[in-house]
Amino acid sequence: MASTSGADLLRRRCACVALAVGLLVLMLAVPTGFALAAEGGRRTLSAAELDAVFPGAAAAGPFEGQPPAAAVRGADGRLTGYVVSTFDTLGSTGYSGKPLDVLVGVDGAGVITGALLVRQTEPILVIGITEDDLRRYVAGFAGINVTLRGTLATGAAPDQAYPAVISGASVSSAVIRDAVIRAVTAVAGSRGVLGRASAAARVDIAGFVPATWAELTADGSIGCRRFTQAEGTKLLLELCVGLATPARIGENLLGKLAYNRLAAMLGAADQAIMIAAAGLVSVKGTAFVRSGHFERLQLVQGARTFGLTTAGYVNVEALRTAGGPEFREIGVFVIPADAGFDAGAPWRLDVLVPDGGASAEAILSIDYALPARYVLSPQPADAPVAEQPSFADAPPLWQETWRSRWSAIAAVSVMLIVLSVVLVFQEAVVRRPVFYRRLRLAYLAVTLLWLGWWAGGQLSVVNVLTFVHSLMTGFQWEFFLLDPVIFILWGYVAAALLFLGRGVYCGWLCPFGALQELLAEAARLVRLPQLVVPFALHERLWPLKYIIFLGLFAVSLGSTRLAFVGAEIEPFKTVMSMTFLREWPFVVYAIALLLAGLFIERFFCRYLCPLGAALAIPARMRMFEWLKRRPQCGRECGICFQRCPVQAIHPEGQINPNECIHCLNCQRVYADDALCPPLAARRKRRERREALATGAGVKRGEV
Amino acid sequence: MRTCSPPLILSRRRALTIVAGTAAALMTGRVAPAAPAFHVWEGTALGAPARLILVGAAEHASKAAVRACLDEVERLEREFSLYRPDSALSRLNANGVLDRPSLDLFRLLRLSATVGEQTGGAFDVTVQPLWQAYADHFTAHPDACSGPPPAAIAEACSRVGCRRLSVRSERIALAPGMALTFNGIAQGYITDRVADLLRARGYTNVLVEMGEIRALGPAPAEPPWSIALAAPPSAAAEPLSLPLRDGAIASSAGAATAFDPAARFHHLFVPDTGRSADAFAAVTVVAPRATLADALSTALYVAPPSRIPAIVGRYPGVLALLTLHSGQRLRIPAA
Repeated sequence: MASTSGADLLRRRCACVALAVGLLVLMLAVPTGFALAAEGGRRTLSAAELDAVFPGAAAAGPFEGQPPAAAVRGADGRLTGYVVSTFDTLGSTGYSGKPLDVLVGVDGAGVITGALLVRQTEPILVIGITEDDLRRYVAGFAGINVTLRGTLATGAAPDQAYPAVISGASVSSAVIRDAVIRAVTAVAGSRGVLGRASAAARVDIAGFVPATWAELTADGSIGCRRFTQAEGTKLLLELCVGLATPARIGENLLGKLAYNRLAAMLGAADQAIMIAAAGLVSVKGTAFVRSGHFERLQLVQGARTFGLTTAGYVNVEALRTAGGPEFREIGVFVIPADAGFDAGAPWRLDVLVPDGGASAEAILSIDYALPARYVLSPQPADAPVAEQPSFADAPPLWQETWRSRWSAIAAVSVMLIVLSVVLVFQEAVVRRPVFYRRLRLAYLAVTLLWLGWWAGGQLSVVNVLTFVHSLMTGFQWEFFLLDPVIFILWGYVAAALLFLGRGVYCGWLCPFGALQELLAEAARLVRLPQLVVPFALHERLWPLKYIIFLGLFAVSLGSTRLAFVGAEIEPFKTVMSMTFLREWPFVVYAIALLLAGLFIERFFCRYLCPLGAALAIPARMRMFEWLKRRPQCGRECGICFQRCPVQAIHPEGQINPNECIHCLNCQRVYADDALCPPLAARRKRRERREALATGAGVKRGEV
Repeated sequence: MRTCSPPLILSRRRALTIVAGTAAALMTGRVAPAAPAFHVWEGTALGAPARLILVGAAEHASKAAVRACLDEVERLEREFSLYRPDSALSRLNANGVLDRPSLDLFRLLRLSATVGEQTGGAFDVTVQPLWQAYADHFTAHPDACSGPPPAAIAEACSRVGCRRLSVRSERIALAPGMALTFNGIAQGYITDRVADLLRARGYTNVLVEMGEIRALGPAPAEPPWSIALAAPPSAAAEPLSLPLRDGAIASSAGAATAFDPAARFHHLFVPDTGRSADAFAAVTVVAPRATLADALSTALYVAPPSRIPAIVGRYPGVLALLTLHSGQRLRIPAA
């Protein structure tokens, strides 16, 4: 400090003032943020509200998770269901376009326990209808099973039904009903109340066995249906459909050459279906040549409609299957992977028969279900719906998750133990430069490949925002325990922050950081010019990331969702969890950051990373200073200053812990008696002394 | 303070609930122990009470069938719903164009155009600007006893009319300011699609009430499904039951979705004048399919009464029951 010049002092003071102003803004933002939160979404449930929507509940947690819901516990402390706010979940608005908010309780079986209108501004509702009518209508949702959107009774009409729509307000009440059902379904689905959402089935596309037309139709690989004209038996349409992606179906139908061409064109999860038709009606029409859209065909699966386009469409002259009938039209249509089509689930093809009058049936349909033999992860298609297991007896979801992810938990634990050993014995490590370098590269590779891409262990500023919010609104371990890898990482990072600073995470455990550093290594290997940012500029770019973090934090106080959108400034989602398979602007952004990192190592970490900023703030409390310096650092020598990959070392020699990534590079220099000038000087002195001691007789004459 | 006459509101949906409820009640009273088992699903669809009565089949099959029906309703709501901002229809209204419409939307537009032609323009899906004008007016003036100013109605009328609607299989396009509503036909269409889906699953004896009523086959006990006709909201009419076998019933009553307490202003507009129609208390149509029944009940409600016999006469198998404000009912064609 003694060497600090007047200008430096001034600059530091400015920084202090800036920090104080920032804190002040933050303190002002917090109460405003709370006001916003109270305006924008619900945060707590009053006892009266809880009693109204979930009779018999003992306690409810805060609204949390995505979509948000409050966990409800019975007197014995067990999870008995959730309370959902339609506004929090859907941002529901009434007919008037102004918010309406209904609190809905749902139990473990997906049955609504109660509903309460807490906010509405519906001028059109005022006509002839009292607020009480509306409240009664909403309260009448109790008892509805959301999986059936109603009740199913055998033998007799039950008395219980959905509440009747209120007279004169069918639009608004339809809005309310829609909001209630959609919000509850979203929450119940995400919490496993309605059974785990099943991923799209994987289809066995490789297994080829020759099969005849008769075999393929007999086992359901191809489905056919004949439609005759209403009067008489004249054939209107004979329609055959099948999934063409599996080799046993596609290759048998199209022949090896055409099938291979098709397979080469298809993306990894694209699906192709074959449609063959004969009869009076053309299923393809002619307009597709001009419009690129088959206007007489659509695929329907569940509540989704898929149009068929000429993208990837292949016209087939004749089928190659032995014993196949003659068709007038045959085509293979491609459904791209991102359309959301599940080849393992049943679907149907709708064909529009043109010129049907108003009373004639003009859409013909054929149902298709892929036979189980092609489904690699079988899902019972038509089995009776299993009864929900008793919800109250099930262990908490997080325990289940921890059990099922034991291998990832073990692996991340080993990683952290290795890192701890490296940090504790860092002097010994850095004294072996080759070993240190190999260890570091290997560790970064594991961080990137295993932790980042395989185990999904990329921390994000979103975690920080969620955590801070949970502290403000009622913290619950359960929510954070749901992802064991992230939980363990955060636990470790929290401890490391207190002991050493943020660098332990940024430099060793951040997969995106590892990717940048490995790319920078590669860039140096191919001798890409490395830009050294002038320190004065560099220093002034540092605050950017703090500003970004503060901005995200302030936004999150008002709207968590908006903050999560803003958190896309982190390319982590694009690069790590979605492996670049995303809309192009995100990919371009991520690649631009990585390109910048080729010339300015860890460009993103240095200037933009809000997570780094969020970690650096509490890391100011750190207790230990393990990175060693010498009095000569920065005065007589600037090697570390030049060698620091993120320029975290001031020209004056001190390490800035807010920027340091704890890579130990400076420590390697510190321990290298060939590089570090004071050490080298000491070595030379020692050598000289030794030389004096051992070879006294020989050397003395020279000295 | 309200200065208008007291509210005379009873929802059309409510009327249908009563109707089908009666059907179910009649049925339960009559089913002999040997009659086939049946399953009743009650819930909501399209924002209104809905009901499915499935005869025969095991419970798990019926459960699966009900789920399939609900998926289909959800799918079609994503096409036709006006209150879902992301439905295909809402997107068409918002953007003025819709590329690559689904078969359902394309077909419903063509059916609408056909019925529009056959009813001399009484059925018109382009009246949505009128609805918007009335809704805006009564939202701004909840206690108003009069409708929107004539200038506003005339302005909205200028944006109504099928001539400026371009329907091609690859693109639907609206002229500036236009908007469509399927509220006079979509419920019938959805009811038909659900009935067709159940028939494809092998059900031969079904009552579908998804906004409108459609029956497949007779009721479990031989006399056909019996559908009670509720008195319209604004008139005291004699109770009446209609037998229904393989057919559909739809009703329109202006008072069901009124803007004002007196129900003088409601959603059933005469496309030419932009005024709410007031010749009848209710119109009920029996037709082979619910789409037609729904569209015709809307069209006949707003058509000039003198033209009604000719319109009904165009359609084989269609019966119209016109309930006057006095409660008297006219049957066309006369029995």
